[in-house]
Amino acid sequence: MLSHRCFGSLLASALVMSLTGAQAHDESKYPDWAGQWRRPPGVNNQWEPTKPRGQEGAPLTPEFQAIFEANLKDQAEGGQGTDPTYTCIPDGMPRAMNVIFPMEMIITPNTTYIHIEYLMMFRRIYTDGRPFPEDTDSSFMGYSIGKWVDTNGDGRFDELLVETRFLKSPRAFDSSGIPLHPDGKTIVQERFYQDRDKPDVLHDEVTTIDNALTRPWTVTKHYNRVRNPIWVEAICSENNDHIKLGNENYMRSADGLLMPAKKGQKPPDLRYFNIKDAKN
Amino acid sequence: MRYRKAFDSSFQATASLSASLAVLLLPMMVASVHAFDETKYPDLKGQWDRTAAPRWLDAKSAPFTPEYRAIFEENLKDQAAGGQGTDPTFTCVAPGMPRVMNAYEPFEIVVTPRTTHILMDHIHDSRRIFTDGREWPKEMQPSFSGYSIGKWIDEDGDGRYDVLVVETRGLRGPRSYDSTGMPFHADNETVINERIYLDKADKNILYDEITVNDHALTRPWTAVKKYRRKPDQQPMWREAVCAENNPHVVIADEPYMLSADGFLMPAKKDQAPPDLKYFPHARK
Repeated sequence: MLSHRCFGSLLASALVMSLTGAQAHDESKYPDWAGQWRRPPGVNNQWEPTKPRGQEGAPLTPEFQAIFEANLKDQAEGGQGTDPTYTCIPDGMPRAMNVIFPMEMIITPNTTYIHIEYLMMFRRIYTDGRPFPEDTDSSFMGYSIGKWVDTNGDGRFDELLVETRFLKSPRAFDSSGIPLHPDGKTIVQERFYQDRDKPDVLHDEVTTIDNALTRPWTVTKHYNRVRNPIWVEAICSENNDHIKLGNENYMRSADGLLMPAKKGQKPPDLRYFNIKDAKN
Repeated sequence: MRYRKAFDSSFQATASLSASLAVLLLPMMVASVHAFDETKYPDLKGQWDRTAAPRWLDAKSAPFTPEYRAIFEENLKDQAAGGQGTDPTFTCVAPGMPRVMNAYEPFEIVVTPRTTHILMDHIHDSRRIFTDGREWPKEMQPSFSGYSIGKWIDEDGDGRYDVLVVETRGLRGPRSYDSTGMPFHADNETVINERIYLDKADKNILYDEITVNDHALTRPWTAVKKYRRKPDQQPMWREAVCAENNPHVVIADEPYMLSADGFLMPAKKDQAPPDLKYFPHARK
């Protein structure tokens, strides 16, 4: 039996721990999503992972279906169509969740950070209970508010629900150029959850609401965990072979010189050079 | 070494206390085994911004070897003529370490038990500082940010960490200290030591004491960076995208500019236009 003195010291110790714990971040309340998450083997960078790139059945309005088809034609000729990221601007949302390079999820009580090792894209998902601001700068990654949910009532959160707004253009769903409406009114809703049978599998059910679509479009992305990862720096701007001059896209040849991206493409206008110095 | 001793001593004291409490508080400790006790760490939350221009130190004080002093001077001449000299970031490659600590954009420090993240929305400036006690890997994939290992230190023994000591290796180039083009040695064997700590009198001031060891220098070179915490509880984070509307273009190692109307133009006086030999129509 514990003596009164010992009980008193236990109580005092418990009180100290309790007070100290007031500012502790109880990780046991949150799912363990530490580590590195990667696209599963065999999944390329298409938005709808169960379908081939460019044939993903996007529910585009007739206007945006026509834009998409014109984009495919331009890409077939060597252009970039409506895929804007060849100049190394960020994928933005929701495309970032294609996770071309691996991602890390950092969970803190007020914010969950998603850090994607490509173009150093990171998302802040605010889970501190704030509402959306009335107005804020739009951005490629948008403004995200999240809520942790304990769906099975076991005292531990198992889902993160996220809504993202204030997105800027240009963005496409993937490199096939499936377009989003440029009106900046996209809303992206997500449900992140760990696979119940495979703790090293994470799912993100992503619903995009956009005026280029006839209805909300939902796809589910899957990611596999690497527990002790090596993070490899991916810098798009380094050795980028695409050169955009005005509205024209050119390529850089192996010897560094400018070359056409399309058959019969005209050379750039060199009006600002003293043309007698031209080597051509 | 001083830091290591302080760290070890603090760790031993904590271990001893834990042992005596363990028997009485086992059930509570089991419940809190996953708790991350934020009270042990300094409060580094919020948005930190630089307090001075994003420059390293005056180039005159740089202890360059004669070889690298000459490279730096040559770079200044090229910059004066409209070139970029030895400043590599105009094409939006990452500034790398230690230049990112010039804090071109405000940054956030996210402390977790195993890693401290420095998140900076500039080009590719964010850092992971591993504080999980790991050793240096035998092989490192070189990167602009490098591989950083940190240790939290309780210097004044009050039971709370107050200094983050960091070493960064595994760097790659090209890098410079700032836009003046002060260069690093091409061997990329730079080692950077940092002490990151809050001002004792003003918890809204953060210091990063950065010592660079590099073969372009005759001795280690130390700079102290100072940052101020913004008062906003919910700061606005501006997305900075270098590649968006970047007016710099490099063709065959030659820097050019894009004019406001989207045409290629010279960056230097009397600069020749690029060779258009791959455009058959240009030869007419």
